[in-house]
Amino acid sequence: MNPDLPVTFQNVSKRYTQRDEDFLACRNLNFSVAEGETIAIVGETGCGKSTAMQMLLGLQQPSEGRVQVLGCDPFKEFDALRGQVGIVFQTDRLLPWRTASQNIQFGLQVLRIPKARRRRIAGEWLERLGLSQFADAYPHQLSGGMRQRVAIARTFAIEPRVLLADEAFSALDEITASVIRVDLLRLVREQRTTTIFITHSVPEAAEVAERVLVFGRPGQVVKEVNVRDLSSREEAAAEIRIGLQMARAESRRCETSPT
Amino acid sequence: MAVPRALRERWRSQSALVLDLVLIAVVWQVSTYFLPPIVAPGLSAIGRALLDIFIEPDLRIHLIYTSLRVLVSLLGAFIIGTAVGLMMGGSDWFRDYMRPLLNLMQGIPALSWIVFAVIWFTEVEVRIAFIILMVTIPTFALQVDSAVRGVNLDFIQLAQAFRASRMQRYAMVLLPAIVPAIISVWSVNLGNAIRVAVVAELIGATTGVGFQLLNAQAVLDMAAAIAWTLSLVLVLFFYQGIIMMIERRLLAWRPKGEQA
Repeated sequence: MNPDLPVTFQNVSKRYTQRDEDFLACRNLNFSVAEGETIAIVGETGCGKSTAMQMLLGLQQPSEGRVQVLGCDPFKEFDALRGQVGIVFQTDRLLPWRTASQNIQFGLQVLRIPKARRRRIAGEWLERLGLSQFADAYPHQLSGGMRQRVAIARTFAIEPRVLLADEAFSALDEITASVIRVDLLRLVREQRTTTIFITHSVPEAAEVAERVLVFGRPGQVVKEVNVRDLSSREEAAAEIRIGLQMARAESRRCETSPT
Repeated sequence: MAVPRALRERWRSQSALVLDLVLIAVVWQVSTYFLPPIVAPGLSAIGRALLDIFIEPDLRIHLIYTSLRVLVSLLGAFIIGTAVGLMMGGSDWFRDYMRPLLNLMQGIPALSWIVFAVIWFTEVEVRIAFIILMVTIPTFALQVDSAVRGVNLDFIQLAQAFRASRMQRYAMVLLPAIVPAIISVWSVNLGNAIRVAVVAELIGATTGVGFQLLNAQAVLDMAAAIAWTLSLVLVLFFYQGIIMMIERRLLAWRPKGEQA
């Protein structure tokens, strides 16, 4: 395991027990992400993407293997990673009782940043994302796109070294999603943030990532696509689709073979 | 000049109450022509008695006593009930033990608590506070527990993802999320507490509206009995007004249609 890599999964397996039955969510999962790299994880529903991300966030502990984030075990050293890992969720999760500015300040408040500085940072982010005039608006007064921008600002305000974008655009219409995708990518590149996009969308994965990991059931990497090595995004998308077919075949094989 | 929309809406919501009051007053006044004053005193006699309660310091003090007893006991019940409710919301184990106990307490009639209080305590203030606490704590606790369990899991996960400490999760997510439930249970408990306080004052107290109602009964002064009752209703309206002001301030974030 290379300690210099910000994210490393080494032989990670995760088992759940549901109604007295063992359920394997991840099996021998291995991957790593380099400093400043942008990767995408693609896979069908139930392929262990979310479980892997829960382990990366330190909200779940692996049953076997090791997860390392910025040199720490995210589960055992939960507090050590405070302010280091940011996440943009599928839904904006803005707190309805907080204004746009106050929502952006959420992570800063967790980090106990003084109020005046929090306000200044929130103001800068609102301006950067073109939402200055909505600083005092409550979430219900904002459009879906504006809300997701505020959620993005909330994450970037803490200047995370590792960013997870969990289906961050899937709740938006395609036009709004493409605009916000551009905004997010611009920020990721400006800040040189190590980023993991989780998505169902093959075109999105091919567009945003330098490297794409195709996940198969149960939670394992069945194919890795280096977008940088390919001549076009279309070619990358074709490679990802091949990976998804491999994942499906593997999944069928596992279902039919005796355990 | 056009009347502002907010004022028009407010008038519309209040007009039904005004109409009801006028109707009751008319029916009452008509009944005074057919019934003796001891049963149905005139509106003017009731009005005079009511005015005396607010003007005469010797009478006003009784209203103040009851109001303060209700307020202090309710604040105590709120603090205890909210703490218990938060602990129940955060621990299945604690909830399993507390819920049957609180349900049992809710099932005990207020009158039984009054009897217990008279037997257990000699001090009148302690008796009244005890009765109000026993009647209102379960409602606070159960409502807060239910509100905590109803908090959107997405918000809890958000706080976890930002690695908020347990205290931060309570202060930044859980408590603001349950404010609407707390305000609504205050409104319910306010009415309960006033009713219970007056009944408790009937036994052994030498101050308060309950004591004055007992006096009015002793001298068959119906006008005073009604005036004291109305004064209590006014106290209830006063407290409800304060709760509504707090609600407007704390829940200003809610969409217009959901606001009080």
